[in-house]
Amino acid sequence: MAISKVVVIGAGVMGARIAAHISNAGISVYLLDVVLKNNRNRNQVAETAIKQLTLVQPAAFMRPANARLITPGNIEDHLDKVAEVDWVIEAVVEDPVIKKNLYQKLNLLCASDTVISSNTSTLPLSVLIDGLPETFTRRFFISHFFNPPRYMPLLEVVLGSMTESEIVKPVLKFADYQLGKGLVYCKDTPGFIANRIGIYWLQCGITHAMAMGLTIEQADAALQPFGIPKTGIFALLDLVGLDLMPVIMVSMKKALPEADAFQQMSHIPELVNKMIAKGYTGRKGKGGFYRLNTAGGKRIKESIDLKTGDYHTSIKSLDADDSEITCVSLQALLLDDDVIGDYRWQVLSKTLCYCAEIFSDIANNITDIDKAMILGYHWQWGPFELLDELHVDWFVERLESEGRAVPELLKQKLALYDRSKRTSSYLISSGQYKAMITPPGILSLSDAKQQNSAVLENSSASLWDVGDGVVCLEFHSKMNALDFDTLSLIRQSIDKIRQEFVALVIYNEADNFSVGANLKLLTTAINRQSWHEIEVMITEGQETFGALKYAPFPVVGAPSGLALGGGCEVLLHCDAIEAHSELYMGLVEVGVGLIPGWGGCKEYLYRCLHKTRKTMGPMPAIIKGFNTVAMAEVSRSAIEAQERLFLSSTDGITPNRQRLLNNAKVKALALIEGYLQSEPPVFSLPGLSAKVTLGIALRGFQLVGKASHYDVVIGNQLAKVFTGDDCDITGIVTEKQVLDLEMKGFMALVKQGETQSRLEHMLSVGKPLRN
Amino acid sequence: MKKAIIAGYCRSPFTPASKGQLAVIRPDDLIAQVVTGLVDKTAVNVADIEDLILGCAFPEGEQGLNLARIVVHLAKLPHSVSGVTINRFCGSSMQAIHIAAGAIEMNAGEVFICAGVESMTRIPMGGFNCLPNPTLYERYPEAYISMGETAENLATEYQIQRQTQEQFSVKSHAKATIAQQKGFFQDEIIPIMTTSQATSINQDGCIRPDTTESILSELPLAFLKKGSVTAGTSSPMTDGAAAVLVCSEQYADQNHLPKMARIRSTAVSGCAPEIMGIGPVGATKKALQRAGLESHDLGVVELNEAFASQALAVLEHLSIPENNLNIDGGAIALGHPLGATGARITGKAASLLQRENKRYALATQCIGGGQGIATILEAI
Repeated sequence: MAISKVVVIGAGVMGARIAAHISNAGISVYLLDVVLKNNRNRNQVAETAIKQLTLVQPAAFMRPANARLITPGNIEDHLDKVAEVDWVIEAVVEDPVIKKNLYQKLNLLCASDTVISSNTSTLPLSVLIDGLPETFTRRFFISHFFNPPRYMPLLEVVLGSMTESEIVKPVLKFADYQLGKGLVYCKDTPGFIANRIGIYWLQCGITHAMAMGLTIEQADAALQPFGIPKTGIFALLDLVGLDLMPVIMVSMKKALPEADAFQQMSHIPELVNKMIAKGYTGRKGKGGFYRLNTAGGKRIKESIDLKTGDYHTSIKSLDADDSEITCVSLQALLLDDDVIGDYRWQVLSKTLCYCAEIFSDIANNITDIDKAMILGYHWQWGPFELLDELHVDWFVERLESEGRAVPELLKQKLALYDRSKRTSSYLISSGQYKAMITPPGILSLSDAKQQNSAVLENSSASLWDVGDGVVCLEFHSKMNALDFDTLSLIRQSIDKIRQEFVALVIYNEADNFSVGANLKLLTTAINRQSWHEIEVMITEGQETFGALKYAPFPVVGAPSGLALGGGCEVLLHCDAIEAHSELYMGLVEVGVGLIPGWGGCKEYLYRCLHKTRKTMGPMPAIIKGFNTVAMAEVSRSAIEAQERLFLSSTDGITPNRQRLLNNAKVKALALIEGYLQSEPPVFSLPGLSAKVTLGIALRGFQLVGKASHYDVVIGNQLAKVFTGDDCDITGIVTEKQVLDLEMKGFMALVKQGETQSRLEHMLSVGKPLRN
Repeated sequence: MKKAIIAGYCRSPFTPASKGQLAVIRPDDLIAQVVTGLVDKTAVNVADIEDLILGCAFPEGEQGLNLARIVVHLAKLPHSVSGVTINRFCGSSMQAIHIAAGAIEMNAGEVFICAGVESMTRIPMGGFNCLPNPTLYERYPEAYISMGETAENLATEYQIQRQTQEQFSVKSHAKATIAQQKGFFQDEIIPIMTTSQATSINQDGCIRPDTTESILSELPLAFLKKGSVTAGTSSPMTDGAAAVLVCSEQYADQNHLPKMARIRSTAVSGCAPEIMGIGPVGATKKALQRAGLESHDLGVVELNEAFASQALAVLEHLSIPENNLNIDGGAIALGHPLGATGARITGKAASLLQRENKRYALATQCIGGGQGIATILEAI
């Protein structure tokens, strides 16, 4: 059974955003909530929620039009809609009586095999099904999404003993394949896995920061090297909402045994109670531990003083060192002989011990706990992986030296994972290791790297054998910026594949596919006025991407996250793309005062000319392409990248990040049979007249203040490429000629002081300068 | 010598481009319905029609080919009716009337349908494929100046403050609102059916009855960073069509057609493109001279409101009492479907002559590229 329609009941933050994410899978969804008293509009709550969804940042919808897939309604007039759907998600208030009343109604109205699940974050399944008939319990489970559901890949699943797996299977498959969720099966315990550990960790973080007199900036910076995202502890609490803390704490305290270490960490500091009372509930309120002070027209980030409760301008802590994190450096951070070092040790040692103590109560194995923390809290390592990074023996010895209890699992000081063999295994309670089985349809580059040495490698990129004759080209420079080494490895890879393999996938497991060309290299050359070197850089990129395009084997790009500038250009030269649904792709060179020079204009122009739906003469396609590049437009999802023609309609979109490499490999293999090398395109471009048209439009933007003088200078250079410059409309422009125009425009701009200012600004501030 | 008269006028509702109800309708289907409406309304013998003269400012795409001839077929007129599409940008359908009047007076036809259409939703202003002459652009870029910029130029040259422009716009909306409430548009509007025949569109969609100076003062500048013209003081992008029946006075008498107004004189004139909005001044002066009239003789004036600053600049030169100006509102309120406007304001002027019981009427408009066009009508 395929899931074709869903009902979400409860249009609060979670319910509404779950509905939005279901619409992102192209599925129609009803969003129902209560009828407000004395309100003529009986769908007011759901309608307001949908309106909010269109405004929320980060965007809930992958494209604005998805809002139309959500139909608002109310539970008094429209509950019968549940009879039409395959899955009903309950996301109402965390009150078992209210939930169970609703379940009884649903059980009568739903078709017999309609799956019903709850998004409860605190109530155990046993409580929710207590007293309900078998006709209900057989199709009921807990599906716990994390906020925001579009972006957080974790879905905690709790199946009851009565839940019939055959009934819920299609829904779980839908969540995995179409909603892109990483499913973690949890035992039916309070807070399940991620929040049980996550909340304990957050409480540890606050309690110790206050006790040790740390500022919130210090505390948040202190934990970053351990793979904790930049939000740290305090910004994360602001995001979650401080007002939820007491509610969760009461519920957890009540549900957990007295001996559970959580009980000692469940005290809500007085400061937090005061903040909640004053409306400082975090981002949704007037502010939280951090706030943005917009008084005086400026946006100033402020932090709360944990002692006085007053706000002061945030002091930017130095970002974590870029240098590679090693076991030694992590240990050293925990050994720092100052209050920060002590803070790190207190928070981490307690959190990791807590994980080791309770793992078998809450999860089937340690890997599920690691997966839950990585997918649900965006930790770089799960707690057990982090223990391995630190070395378990070192960790245990330090506990012992402090006279602290050592959790049973760690007593033998064994590594939690054994990665020495081809198939990794993990430690189980008995002290033995159990093999990790990769489910079908999932291919991990990390695993492939563990199993084989690189086919080719240098400091910026590597080539890995991922089986069946397919190799994977991995970028791994900082932010995956592309440089000479990257280009060189692409060239070497092409030669290698020609001899020994059948297809290439360009993929990596970093957060971002690539942020573009290495601007530092470029600015260094500019500073030396080595214009020839820059020309070589451009030629090298054009020729390398050209070689990729005309390689005698299929090349599939598999991007996720940012694919900007050169990162976008490399993808535009692939035969096909299999994109993660979270793809932010664009030719953003104008932001640094340049135009795409590695064939990006040429490839994008070609796509626009051939794929613009309204083929009404030469201009609409050219205007579309020109506008996209001139405004440095970036897609806000893969589906939007397709709408902007960065992806073609035959390119694939994979919602589940973990399935991306495998899907890309399958796509590459499918292209092998009858693979025809690309033919160089020829362009028919309108030339000077069209350049005048674009120039007039640029002037209009400048007059009204939407473009700066230098934006117009860049725009005019870009216009030359997109129109064919001084060609005649009856003539043919070759691929090489368009590439030459790119080069000419790039070189004209790179010599300008304004471009250099833009580059320097980007490198120092990380944001584009409008000069 | 034969004299040309206006014997009928009607139009579609005018609705905002892209957002309005007419956005889904092809322009050829739109004007065909208006032409059919005019034929039905006047009961003219279609076999007598010499020509369908159709104005359109961007005759490409769905407005392309010889649109007028296509419309003859769509409106199921006899094959004997010929069709010509003409372009003088915003003055196109007024020019259609001038051509018909000229033909009638030289005995080259008795009855003409003079119409205009523009779907600014479906064919963008400037067309899909604007390809200016690069050499001319280099030598004389003003030839391609944007309309908004010309409105700013006039605002500067005539020192017309933003607030004054906004006052003008508010009045235009107020007049149109009252006219709509009084049902003054009912007679002229032909309800338009959508292709699916599901809906009949019969109301203008651009008028903003509740607009105020305060609301308009909040709008961002539309064309110039330090300018004064906003979307609120510009005519909106509009979809619409209009048609006028022009025939000889003699033919109207013989065939019992309504005689709304006599075409007394016509004129076109050029001016500098960068102040194209002043175009009506030169054209009106010529037309008045040809009619042997002074501006104070005009009881009804339809001055197209491309922009408030433009209309106000024109009024600096022509003394026109406010009561006689755009009595049922102008293009800022009603909308300005480029090719259709000339037929609308000429037809409107003719009907106002009758309603207001005045003797002479002027319909005049500015034209992109630096031109003006004017028609003087006389009550019969």
